[in-house]
Amino acid sequence: MPVRRKVLSWGAAAAATPLLAACGESAGAARLTKQAPRRDGKKVELVFWTWVPLQKSVALWNKTHPDVHVELQIVPNGLNGGYQKMHSSLKAGSPPDLAQVEYHTIPEFLLVNGLTNLSKYGVDKLKDQYVDWQWNQGVFDGQLRAMPQASGPMGFYYRKDIFERCGAEVPGTWDEFRQAAIKIKKRGGGSRITTFAPNSALWFASFSWQRGARWIRTEGDTWIVDIDSELSREVADFWDGLLRDELVLPMADLQSGWYRAAQTGRMASWPGPHWGDALLRGNAPGTKGKWRVTTLPQWEKGDNASANQGGSATAVLQGSRHPAEAIEFAHWLNTDAKSIDLLVEAGYGWPAARIDLGESALGKPDPFFGGQHYNEVFQESDSNVDTSWKWAPTTSQSFEHIKDAMGRVAAGNGTLVDALGDIQGRFLDDFRAKGLKVRSA
Amino acid sequence: MSATTTPEAAPAAPVTSARTTPPGPRRVPPPGRILLVASLAVATVYFLLPVYWLVIAATKSTDKIYGSNGFWFDSPRLLENIGKVLSYDGHVYLYWVANTLLYAGVGALLATLLAAAAGFALAKYRFRGREAVFKSVLAGVLLPHTALALPLYLLFNKVGLTNTYWAVLIPSVVSPFGVYLCRIFAESSVDDTLLEAARVDGAREGRIFFGLALRIMSPALVTVFLFQFVGIWNNYFLPLVMLSDDRMYPITLGLTTWQTSQDRIPELVQYTVGGAFLSVIPLAVAMLVLQRYWRTGLTEGSVKG
Repeated sequence: MPVRRKVLSWGAAAAATPLLAACGESAGAARLTKQAPRRDGKKVELVFWTWVPLQKSVALWNKTHPDVHVELQIVPNGLNGGYQKMHSSLKAGSPPDLAQVEYHTIPEFLLVNGLTNLSKYGVDKLKDQYVDWQWNQGVFDGQLRAMPQASGPMGFYYRKDIFERCGAEVPGTWDEFRQAAIKIKKRGGGSRITTFAPNSALWFASFSWQRGARWIRTEGDTWIVDIDSELSREVADFWDGLLRDELVLPMADLQSGWYRAAQTGRMASWPGPHWGDALLRGNAPGTKGKWRVTTLPQWEKGDNASANQGGSATAVLQGSRHPAEAIEFAHWLNTDAKSIDLLVEAGYGWPAARIDLGESALGKPDPFFGGQHYNEVFQESDSNVDTSWKWAPTTSQSFEHIKDAMGRVAAGNGTLVDALGDIQGRFLDDFRAKGLKVRSA
Repeated sequence: MSATTTPEAAPAAPVTSARTTPPGPRRVPPPGRILLVASLAVATVYFLLPVYWLVIAATKSTDKIYGSNGFWFDSPRLLENIGKVLSYDGHVYLYWVANTLLYAGVGALLATLLAAAAGFALAKYRFRGREAVFKSVLAGVLLPHTALALPLYLLFNKVGLTNTYWAVLIPSVVSPFGVYLCRIFAESSVDDTLLEAARVDGAREGRIFFGLALRIMSPALVTVFLFQFVGIWNNYFLPLVMLSDDRMYPITLGLTTWQTSQDRIPELVQYTVGGAFLSVIPLAVAMLVLQRYWRTGLTEGSVKG
């Protein structure tokens, strides 16, 4: 790995604490993590809050590890209440030992000192068992703050039949994607190459990520916001063009109209994450056998740049009394081959652990994708994700600005390129409102 | 959440509105009447349409919910769907139903009793600070439940009651609006001379309250009960912060955990719709059964007052 400047400095967060308290916001966890002495013959109880259906893996752990019992409690997912519960419990000083935290939310938890510093408990020796970029999502100031669990590497789902019928080539680059879009619009009888989802900031972010843009970084104790960059503008301009020429359908993704478009073939392809496979399979069962998966189109021919949409970690919340046992469980959950197979079955995403695809449940061919070993595409994708992308500690609010702007553009008002400047300004405001030092790149 | 909250509140309006038209006018109805009936009909359709959609959607499979006309059947399989809703994840839905009935039923009952006692006392006993007490209760009406949930959580956490049934039940038995309504109603409907007579006959205060006042106040109590029942039933935020064991969740919270997992397990779309459908039934029944008492009672009150 190249020598980098100190990626993020949490001095900024610490300096901001009094300001946060003055604003009446949560100034931090009410209790710090401390290892309780282990008494012989006494079972350790761990509480784990998640919204991912991990029941089977946890049951397997409880069966095979009689002295550490994990109680799984299903909470509503992140922004629908899960994070609020976690923040309340941190504030009250009685958090669960373990919690599901998405990669893009880790900085927000660090801002309230909500995550146990796992490096203090010697996790760094486990690094080699995980995919680099996923491990790095949890590393701040050289310390690991959450065990990586799963990701959503991007791939390109497409309807083989529609592409063939329209005489469109499967695109290797975004230029070719545009050519294919034109053909599908002309000959597809109402179909479009894909949808533009104004509701998904993560989806849009992944294209900038792939292009090489870095929205957020730090220098010393200062945050640097770089959303309105040359590279991001290039991505925005590309989608502006598709929207202007009506080559894509402006439509919220993962909702009823979108699923219907997937069923009827109005949507001929989808640059989407690995976990989208279950959505297509489950919500458009009538299209079985017609889909294929290939690598995400590239900006330059011959590149193999990738990106990610969604993903989460298993965090040990600040205040746990059993960090060592919690880490042991989190590591087992996310790397044990049997556990991973059960997690895959539960639809948890792409493993953070380095896996042998041939041995894994993910290695099987799928009749829905015409018998393709489609996960080979995603394994390659995941290994090509750039390791240096970081998220803002204000993601929950700041994503709303992106969605607002995308919604306006999708409705025909203005362009994404122009909106980037506005989004940039709003990001800066959000940082300042938290009392953080920030500037534009 | 709209899928679960709108239909639950809906049945009340059309049911009452349908009965407000007096029976059989012989003359040609005046244009005002026609306009009234027409607008009520529109309102009925407006309120019932989501419920209708829910009923239809509950009979469909996940892909048909998206892929077929939302207002007509497509290969209906209601019983199979309901069976799956009930049995998913170790019958967790049945726990949610039982919990909701406990929170809303017991909570509303206790809240009604407390509100009746407080309202009666505030209306009929003279004591120092009575108005101050009443005004602070009134202030309570203005405080949104959501704003109180977090401080309550910190409080309950101190005494170790979070993630227990008490954490939802105790805050649910307090109804400032109920106290307000009961006081107003007791003032206008419970006659002072009646109380005097009872006292002269040797009845104790407890007996007067339970034997006399409660009966006279029953129309108001039904109203308080219904409001509180629906309020607890729909309360999302309080159980969200208080509870973490999904076997203790009420239906609203449980269905949200299903709804938000749909991007991992697509079948949950169907289960969420089916679960919402089932959850509407008890509320609709409660409204239909109780609205008779409710309406006659309120009119009686108004005539007497």
